[in-house]
Amino acid sequence: MGLRWYHFAAWAAFVGFMFLLPEMVSKGTLRIIIFANFLAVFAISWDVLSGRTGYVSFGHPFLIGIGAYTTAILTKRFDVPVEISIPIAVFVTMIGGLIVVLPALRIKGSYFALITLAYMELIYQLVQVVRPDLTGGTRGMSGLPTLTRGAVNGYYMSLTLMVIVAFGVWLVMRTRIGTALSAIGMNEEAVKGSGLSVTRLKLFAFLLSAMIAGLGGAFYVHYLGSIAPRALFDINFVFTIIVAALIGGASTTIGPIIGAFFLTFLLEYLRPYLPGAERYFIYGGVALLLYMYQPKGIYEIIQQGWARVRART
Amino acid sequence: MSMSLTITNLVKKFGGLTATNDLSFTIEAGQSVGLIGPNGAGKTTVFSQVMGEHRQTSGSIKLGSEEISSLSTPARIRRGVSRTYQVPRPFSDMTVAENIRVGLMPDSVLGMILKGANTDRELELALSVGFSEDDLERTPAELSMGDLRKLEMARTMATDPKVMLLDEVFAGLTVAEIAMISDLVQKMRADGMTFLIVSHDLKALEPLVDTAIAINYGSMIAEGSYGDVMASDAVRASYLGEA
Repeated sequence: MGLRWYHFAAWAAFVGFMFLLPEMVSKGTLRIIIFANFLAVFAISWDVLSGRTGYVSFGHPFLIGIGAYTTAILTKRFDVPVEISIPIAVFVTMIGGLIVVLPALRIKGSYFALITLAYMELIYQLVQVVRPDLTGGTRGMSGLPTLTRGAVNGYYMSLTLMVIVAFGVWLVMRTRIGTALSAIGMNEEAVKGSGLSVTRLKLFAFLLSAMIAGLGGAFYVHYLGSIAPRALFDINFVFTIIVAALIGGASTTIGPIIGAFFLTFLLEYLRPYLPGAERYFIYGGVALLLYMYQPKGIYEIIQQGWARVRART
Repeated sequence: MSMSLTITNLVKKFGGLTATNDLSFTIEAGQSVGLIGPNGAGKTTVFSQVMGEHRQTSGSIKLGSEEISSLSTPARIRRGVSRTYQVPRPFSDMTVAENIRVGLMPDSVLGMILKGANTDRELELALSVGFSEDDLERTPAELSMGDLRKLEMARTMATDPKVMLLDEVFAGLTVAEIAMISDLVQKMRADGMTFLIVSHDLKALEPLVDTAIAINYGSMIAEGSYGDVMASDAVRASYLGEA
């Protein structure tokens, strides 16, 4: 797997720094980082599926939403405790992952992307129309049980989730399965021609992605204490996830985290100057420039810079 | 251990076009057979049916004594038949070593996760097709056509085949590279590998095969020793046109 001591040292340093952060920054900044942590989880989830295998999903909130709604309905309507509802939500999201993998067995490219977009639209309509007594209809649900109180606790919860997901995915993707999934993204036929069942590999990628999306969605709902279909099944949300993964560095685990933090802070720092949707114009422009400068993302820029520093010393 | 390949009454129709027309032949274990014919004769279509990339309209394909014509491509490869492609298909963002690694992987998710890469075997395969140790970290963008074909050979060999189908392995290669790939094929023949080889480079093909099969419009037009097949009127006519 090529694991070295400095890999773990880097992880430990990152986690250590992040855990000390509440001592250094304001509560407002912490609240921003909480969103960055959740966005990182969603971007990692998207990347496992789309960044690696090349099956670009435009409907990732479909999976996130299944996780979020499952636990929201269970806790709110059936008084199921959170410790039970979250694992159930993850499981149900993985079943949702099976639904997403079905078209991926037959079609790829833009057709697959469009179908995933349709999935998101479908669940958006469904939660509003079918059994609004359960889903809360167009208004969603509020007053859900929250896991934490206050910014600091919320920060630690979201950080723990993000670090566990990121470290786990990083470990798994460093094994040969990571190589195999990336190979699908490069040339699916040649993977078949190497004697590997691409169906099984895709199934693994989609289930892992769904598991993370379900976890992220469920924890997010119990952080916010509410759920609103319009914010969740929103094309802007889709693009934020995809752009975070892409400008951070697709097909890596660190990239989506960098991208998520970069985007979240960019949007927050623009807020005082551009309170409305114009922010997205700037953010689109920045993302585009970065992407044109280095399609492999910020992580690649950092790595190249580091290589230059090392070459000099 | 070597294996035979038996094709019986193979037919492949694409709509109104018959690409393979009632083709039957056997390659005994350890034999090497050249498959020749003009462009569009249906050589590559035979390959893709043996590999399961195209399903035959009718007929049977046996690897050893086992019927494989209903299996998926990866399942056939696990049984011991593998092919190279006319146009090499490397994994573009991966190194030579990683490209070979994909061929060496077990077809099991757990196996991929729990067991690390067999770097010794990767190196061994790379060296056997003529790469140097330094080449392992190069990417396909840095490789010549000859190197890409070598990489394709190495990845195909990594699947541990008993029967290998080589599709135009000499196209775009220098004289030295042709000699190298030829040496490699000869070495593998000596080790008992069964070959079916398609090549338009008939001079390079001749020393590599025991017998030859010529096809045109999907039908067999000659079979026998390489010399006899090349001397056949039907084969001459198919390449040069009717006199």
